[in-house]
Amino acid sequence: MQSNLEKQEIAKFLNISDEMALFSDIPAQYRKKEIRIQEGVSEYEVLEQARRIASLNSSAGMVNFLGNGIYKRIVPASVDSIIGRSEFLTAYTPYQAEMSQGVLQSLFEYQTFMSELTGMDASNSSMYDGFTTLGEAVRMAHRINERRDILIPENMFDDKLKVINSYLSGLSVRLLTYRVDQVTGFIDLNDIQSKVSKDTSAIVVEMPNSYGIIDENVLKVSQIKGDALLIAYVDPVSLGMLLPPGDYGADIVAAEGQQLGIHMNYGGPGLGILTFRKDYIRKSPGRIIGETVDNKGKKAYVMTLQTREQHIRREKATSNICTNQALMAIASAVYLGVVGPTGLKKIAQTTYVNSRKLKNKLSSLKAAGVPQLTGKPFSDVLIKFRTDVSQLQEFLAEKGINGGVPLQKLAAAPILIRNSAFFTATETTQENETDQLVSIMEVFR
Amino acid sequence: MSYHEATYDEPSIFTFRSGTTYKVPGSVTDSDIDLPQELIRKHLDLPEVSEYDVVRHYTRLSQMNYSVDLGIYPLGSCTMKFNPKYADKIAGMEQFYDVHPLQLASTVQGQLRIMYELQEFLKELSDMDAVTLQPLAGAQGEYTGMLIVRKYFEVKGELNSRTEVIVPDSAHGTNPASAAMAGFNVVEIPSAEDGTVDLEALKAAISEHTAAFMITNPNTLGIFEDHIGEIARLVHEAGALLYYDGANFNGILGITSPGLMGFDIVHFNLHKTFATPHGSGGPGAGPVGVKANLAEFLPVPIIGKDGDKYFLDYSPKHTVGKVSSYMGSFMVLLRAWAYIRFHGSDGLRRNTINAVMNTNYLKKKLENKFKIPYKSLKKHELVLSTENTGKKALDIAKYLIDNGVHAPTIYFPLIVHEAMMIEPTETVSRMDLDRFAEIFLESADVPEEELKKHPVNLPIGRPDDVKAARDLKVRWFPEK
Ligand SMILES: Cc1ncc(COP(=O)(O)O)c(C=O)c1O
Repeated sequence: MQSNLEKQEIAKFLNISDEMALFSDIPAQYRKKEIRIQEGVSEYEVLEQARRIASLNSSAGMVNFLGNGIYKRIVPASVDSIIGRSEFLTAYTPYQAEMSQGVLQSLFEYQTFMSELTGMDASNSSMYDGFTTLGEAVRMAHRINERRDILIPENMFDDKLKVINSYLSGLSVRLLTYRVDQVTGFIDLNDIQSKVSKDTSAIVVEMPNSYGIIDENVLKVSQIKGDALLIAYVDPVSLGMLLPPGDYGADIVAAEGQQLGIHMNYGGPGLGILTFRKDYIRKSPGRIIGETVDNKGKKAYVMTLQTREQHIRREKATSNICTNQALMAIASAVYLGVVGPTGLKKIAQTTYVNSRKLKNKLSSLKAAGVPQLTGKPFSDVLIKFRTDVSQLQEFLAEKGINGGVPLQKLAAAPILIRNSAFFTATETTQENETDQLVSIMEVFR
Repeated sequence: MSYHEATYDEPSIFTFRSGTTYKVPGSVTDSDIDLPQELIRKHLDLPEVSEYDVVRHYTRLSQMNYSVDLGIYPLGSCTMKFNPKYADKIAGMEQFYDVHPLQLASTVQGQLRIMYELQEFLKELSDMDAVTLQPLAGAQGEYTGMLIVRKYFEVKGELNSRTEVIVPDSAHGTNPASAAMAGFNVVEIPSAEDGTVDLEALKAAISEHTAAFMITNPNTLGIFEDHIGEIARLVHEAGALLYYDGANFNGILGITSPGLMGFDIVHFNLHKTFATPHGSGGPGAGPVGVKANLAEFLPVPIIGKDGDKYFLDYSPKHTVGKVSSYMGSFMVLLRAWAYIRFHGSDGLRRNTINAVMNTNYLKKKLENKFKIPYKSLKKHELVLSTENTGKKALDIAKYLIDNGVHAPTIYFPLIVHEAMMIEPTETVSRMDLDRFAEIFLESADVPEEELKKHPVNLPIGRPDDVKAARDLKVRWFPEK
């Protein structure tokens, strides 16, 4: 029995002398005999243990050239400050709108930010992460037109493809791949055209594509897609300078939003961004915040269109998603508020220029085979080498650099670019870091 | 205690005009961008706001938000317990958050050790044999579980005939939604008189077409399914699998476990049972545990250990593949690890006992005025009906929030009319329980027309949901 006085009073009120009487409905054979976990420790001790374990990571002090979906970008101090506020951090989903206007308005603003950024009509209030959002986007397209085929680029990363496949299980949908040119790195429009039919539900394009390239051909897909839907998977920071998918005919846009004010977090939590044309809003998954008025005519925000969601529609819901990534959505709204449109443009342009410099320096290495892909990278730079690169990441890590992920590790690597590896630049990439990388790479054979 | 939530008539961030003050390093110009003009964005209509205005704006908004750090938040099924500050501090360690998911295992031994230890903790607490940390929320855990069910029957060559997943009518909406998303037909069965699974209904529903039965125990009425042994036997005899929705784990943690009760697959809601903050809606984490015979179906990678080295283990032979982008919501996993380390075997069990004590305390207080259907002994939560008082659950909820406490979950589970589902958790004092009960009991005596006027102490009165769904204004537009 416990020493806590309040609990003793409660036990007395409940008329129990043994607190285990509260578990008398659990048959004896199911009682847990022991818990083989250490006894509790003090706050001081748990912090010490965490520090010790953190120090097993050797990343502190390593130079980062990793990217391909998660990026080391500047996170303004204001973002951490706002999402660290316990009013946002420790609240639940805003089920009681009247006492949760703060998060509701913040998420409404998030939806506005994302609609503007992607050039689309509407956004939901967040999904789990980039890949699952793309999976949901494909399901949504199939729900809209009930057609069979989804066209995807052949260079899509394996892990992304695996997540899409998970999200398609149980649907009678077929994934067809279309070609990507091995000289430019652009998607092959003729090949797409030859595969589009009356059975095509959607065409998935990536911008920049999985080779990291700003793909001019993506702009032309809407001209050849017939009445199939166009799903664009985009880099949200690139939209600071690149044409938004709404302007090249996208119907649904999916993205990983980690870059918008969220730390790398070893890949999670991130942020799934999903925007779409307004016509499709009732077919969309996830929570949506709407503006309305209260009983006195004052502006108010609520969760709306809940009749699409699992708690009401159950097995007929547009998705099973319940808990989402609201806090990360707030982070991205604060981020975009702080950096503003000129800041985002500058971040995108700096990224572009830094990746160009990185590409120029690396492609003049002896070990780099010529010619490189002619398409221009945004952030992820794919470099072709003359030699096997399967151990390149290990080689660099020993010298204090994270980077050089072989293409083969991420996706099918066609013959022309088999020995290729990725190096990523962002606005945080320093000239001396690039030089350090290049000088280490001089001895890579 | 009188209560008023902070109220600002806060304009949209899109109307601010104070000019960006944030400095981005570098010195690029448009002429550095040698791309075809048609690729270049012509305009981006985001506001130029000073950093101080952005911070003030979102700080004011934050003050119009109730949270666990303000007081009792007894949303049933959500386990809104205190989120410990040491976990915030650990999640704020740069060595943990400044890590890229494509780094080599040799450079992230700290991350992998945390994840490995958490897998071990969850195995021990649930008595399951293998765990994946990849799913990003409870519902995604369910979905992962359903993918495992599919793969299991696919490998057995029975997928074509195993087309059905059974759920009780008291199940959370995500259960049928997850099963349907994975391609199963959902069969709903009614509950028995006492609120538990109706064994006869289950027997009638089970067949050679059953792939799985999904339940939570304690169930969504907060009562323990004491026929769980019989349920497991029926399901397994039919060759089907038994799925445990772990949202209600806080009612039994350390006392019994899904493994002991015969479950094959379980998901955990770390943002409930293990006190990670819910972030106004997310992020959460929904790890999945399975019995040994299903370990080969888990998504990859799981975290392995060889001597004193941790590694990404891709060995599960019939893996369902991947369910999310990377290795899971690491920062959430880290906080759950800290919670388990801090409380340890003794504290975790103590928390369960206290949570159940608090629930039964509230039950005994509230049953003076409200009808509390079904079995009397509760676990982590109780569900009452306001019907006998002639009041609507919605109206009582509004009365509660107007008095500075969060309302319970309302209108769930669907099988109780005018349901209010109350989960106090262990982290609330008797003083606060008494105050909550007092306001609650008081509400029963407030005339209905009075109740309908609430709330008045909050930034807005009752919102017009119908208008929201009709107008579908889902983004800000400039005033014309
Ligand atoms: C009983 C039950 N099952 C499943 C879920 C789904 O969990 P999540 O919101 O983490 O997806 C919830 C939470 O809302 C729940 O209460």
